[in-house]
This record gives sequence, structure tokens and C-alpha cells, in this order.
Amino acid sequence: MSLIETHTGWTPKSFETFARSRDEPAWLSALRRQSWERFLSTPMPDRSEEEWRRTDLRMFRFERFGFPGGPSPAAAVPPAMLAEQVARAGRLVTLDGHLQDHWLDARWEAAGVRFGLLEDFVRRHPEELRAYLEPQLADTPGDKFAALHAALWSGGTLLLVPRGVSVDEPLYSLMAVSPGGSDFGHTLVVLEEGAEATLICEHAGGGEGPGLHCGATHVFVGPGARLRLVHLQDWGKGVWHFAHQRALVQADARLQWTLAALGARLAKVNQYVGLAGPGADAQVNGVMFAEGRQHLACHTFQHHQAPRGKSDLLYKGALQDRAHVVWRGMIRVDRDAQKTDGYQRDDNLLLSETARVDSIPGLEILADDVKCTHGATAGRVEDEMIFYAQSRGLSRREAVRLVVAGFFQQVFDRITIDRVREALEAAIGQRVRDHAEPPG
Amino acid sequence: MSQSPSPGPQYVRVCRVGDVPDPGKTVVEVGDRLVALFHVAGRFYALDDLCTHDGGPLAEGELQDHTIRCPRHGALFDIRTGQALTMPATQPTASHEVKVIGDEVFVRIPEE
Repeated sequence: MSLIETHTGWTPKSFETFARSRDEPAWLSALRRQSWERFLSTPMPDRSEEEWRRTDLRMFRFERFGFPGGPSPAAAVPPAMLAEQVARAGRLVTLDGHLQDHWLDARWEAAGVRFGLLEDFVRRHPEELRAYLEPQLADTPGDKFAALHAALWSGGTLLLVPRGVSVDEPLYSLMAVSPGGSDFGHTLVVLEEGAEATLICEHAGGGEGPGLHCGATHVFVGPGARLRLVHLQDWGKGVWHFAHQRALVQADARLQWTLAALGARLAKVNQYVGLAGPGADAQVNGVMFAEGRQHLACHTFQHHQAPRGKSDLLYKGALQDRAHVVWRGMIRVDRDAQKTDGYQRDDNLLLSETARVDSIPGLEILADDVKCTHGATAGRVEDEMIFYAQSRGLSRREAVRLVVAGFFQQVFDRITIDRVREALEAAIGQRVRDHAEPPG
Repeated sequence: MSQSPSPGPQYVRVCRVGDVPDPGKTVVEVGDRLVALFHVAGRFYALDDLCTHDGGPLAEGELQDHTIRCPRHGALFDIRTGQALTMPATQPTASHEVKVIGDEVFVRIPEE
């Protein structure tokens, strides 16, 4: 018997009210309506499906959340981990999808860089972004949350860097939710040929009460372009987080993508990287820390479509209390993707006996001249290491923190944005608790 | 009018006795979690609705006497204690206190 009731507050009438309030081009309105129909006709995910086998949604209630686009919340923007320290070239802040703050350095605006609220840009330049938005939003095969996002997305972040422009300081985007609020933000990043940029996206807020983020990110890294992208999710522990993230890397382009998951009650993220052009290069760094009864699920996909592509994925997760982390990774090498170099590794550190990790790597290789490696590990903190550190004068808690810091160091060393690395080190250090029984 | 005795703090009313056949089972929300509630031989028992082997939904399994079999891979649990009786489960699943007062069934929210 399913425990999820039909979402009674989400009626066709509510959707029509929302759709009519949007003031958008006809193609976008049509896309929203098609997506809404798909959302209604797609059943809630069932644990008999492999994708949802280990992620239990039965406590999730759509009717607890409202449509986007209501009045701007009275709440203040919650504090975020990064905020001022990284917003050098530009900053964008939304709260429940409503714009709170925006600026872009005049130098970059003059160079043709577009950075700001996506829904505003779509209204002002509907045809310019259509090719990037329409096919991606329409592609939601069988996924109820992707269809919901395509129907209801609002607010959102746009970064578009024109050909050859090199934005040499980071841009920062914060999507926040108020307690009980929801965010349906869509992030679109387009780097044209030879462009360079660094974009740091953060999610924060929601408190301990229920909140909802149903989002998507689409990234296009043009030929020869260079993008450093960071997604830092530090929601309150009551937020339900569903996100589809998709990057296409063209010939000789390079993407460094760091995804950090620290918050949320339940997070289900699909992260896809397509090495679409010859010589495309993607480095993916994952940092996960789960505690309490958090459930963090990340499904990654490295898709080699063209020859000489390189993908290097390293995920590190630490868990304590009764947390549950699921990592499902796949490298797929198409028949024409000869000379692919694909690497995928997921390491996990269990800090309590009641934490659980399911780490499942995968390879699907159709070419015959490739190098593909994958590995997964899960283990406890070794008592001997703790004893050794204690014998050098550290307290037990300090010793455990040191071991955890050492565990994450390999992935931290790959994060080339100092402020992001430092913030993650500090955040994880604060969260670590010692669960082991004292000896004797 | 006399008031029914209170079950005590941290107890949540989940259903009426007659809502669950004997023998029978259902799933109820207790605080922040889903609990498999069993009604066998006139008594109620409550376990986390979670097989410790691979996270399967215990309440969807086969109930026989005081055992429940996980529908995914067949691990058997004792509904009275949560103890894992057969492979592939090796760890017990959490067991929760149940009180029946009059016609009402209460389950205790576990402390974390």
C-alpha cells in the first residue's frame, strides 16, 4: 500500500494561476504545460525501481509545500558558508526564488558577460536562451521530479560568458529557502568557445522544518573553454533536495566540478557529465558528510561520447550517527570514444556503527581501446591510528578529527579555489563527533 | 467523564486496535520515521520498517507467527525484539515499545 497520497493542494487550477502569472514566451509556457502533464501522469518513484531502491520517499509530502511565485518571504536571507568571501566578480542571491541581491562587476558586463536571475533574462532575451533551455527541460523521461522542475522552475541563475572572454575572479550565486519554503531554481551556465570562468553556487537555509528544493543545472562548456564550478549544498536538516545536474564538455574543453553535500534531510542528486567533443576533460570532486538520520544519495554518470576524452571522478564521504549515503556511479564509453581515459572512485569513512553506505560503481564500455578504472571503499576509523595520535598528546576527539581531515585531504587537494576548500575543511571539522566507546 | 490514562511522554497514537487484523500488519508514522506495526495473538509489536541487510520494507513481507520475512532477500526478523534470525541480515532492526490503552495503540518515539 502506498503511503503517499495524491497531492491535494497541487491542482490544475493552482498550476494555471501560476502559469498565467509568468509573462513568458509562448514556447516556455507550452513547455511548462507539457511538463506539468507529465508530472501528473508519472507515478511517485517506487523502491522496486533500481534508481530508488535505497532511497525511501514515503515520508515526503508534496502538499506540505507551495507553488513558487507567491509573495516575497518576510524572512531574512539565512547565513551561508561562503557568501562575501568568494563573490569577487559578481553575486546573485535568491530567497524562495525571489531576487534579493544582484551585482556584476562593470568590467565583465562591458565584456558581454551575462550573470543574473535566469527568469529575467528569459523574459528579455527569449530566443537567445531557447536553444539551451528547451531541449534540456523537455528531456525528463520517467522522472517525476525533473518534470516538476521543468513545469515550475523560477528565479534561477544564468551565467553566459562570450567567446574568448576570461573572467578571472569567481562569481557567486546563493539559492536560499525560508523555513518551510521551497526553491525551484534552474541554473544555466554557458561558456562559449575559449571562455573561462569560475562559478560557485551555494544552497542554504530552511532550518529544521520541512523545505523543498526541486532544481536542475545545465552546463555547456564550449570548445577550448575552461570552467570551475562548485555546488555547495548546506541546507537545514529538514529540507528535501532533488536535483538533476547535467554538463556537456566540448572538444578540448575542461571542467572542474566540485559537489559538496552537507545538509538536507534527504538529497537525491543525479550528476551527469558528457564528454561530448574529442579531448574533453572533466574532473569531478565529491565531498559528502552525513549525520543524524540524513540520507544523501548521489548518482553520477561519466559519459564518453568522443575520442580522447578524460574523466576523473573522486568522491569522498564520511558518515556518523545513523546517516545513510548512497553513491551509484557509472562510466559509459560509446563505441566511437576510443582512447578514453576514465577514472571513478568513491571512498567512505564510517564514524559510527549505525551509519550505512551503499557504494556501487559501474562501467559500460563499448569501445575497445580505452583505459577505465573504478573503485569503491568503505571502512571504519582504525583504532591503531587513534591510539597513535593519542600517544602523541592529542585528545581522542582531536585524533578522530585529524583522521577525518586526512581522509578528505586527497579530494580537498583537487579543489583549486582556496576559500571553498577552507570552508569545507572547517565545516567538516566542526561536525565530526567521536562515537567510539572509550577504552577500559 | 473519566479520562483515559496517558501512555506517557514520547508515545504517539498510531491507530485503533481494530484497524489491524490479528494476525496482520501495517505501516505507521511515528515521529520522523516509518514503523512496521504487527498484531499477533492479541498483542502489538513495532519495528523499524527497514531490513538491516539492504533497506527492504519489512512490512511488505510475509508475517508468520512472530516472524517477518523481508520481501527483498528473505531475511527473517523476530517481531518481538527486532533480532535478525537468518541471513542475509546480521544486525537487528530497531524495536519500539507499544502500549494499548483501551481501543488505542501507541508507539514510543525512539530517542536518538
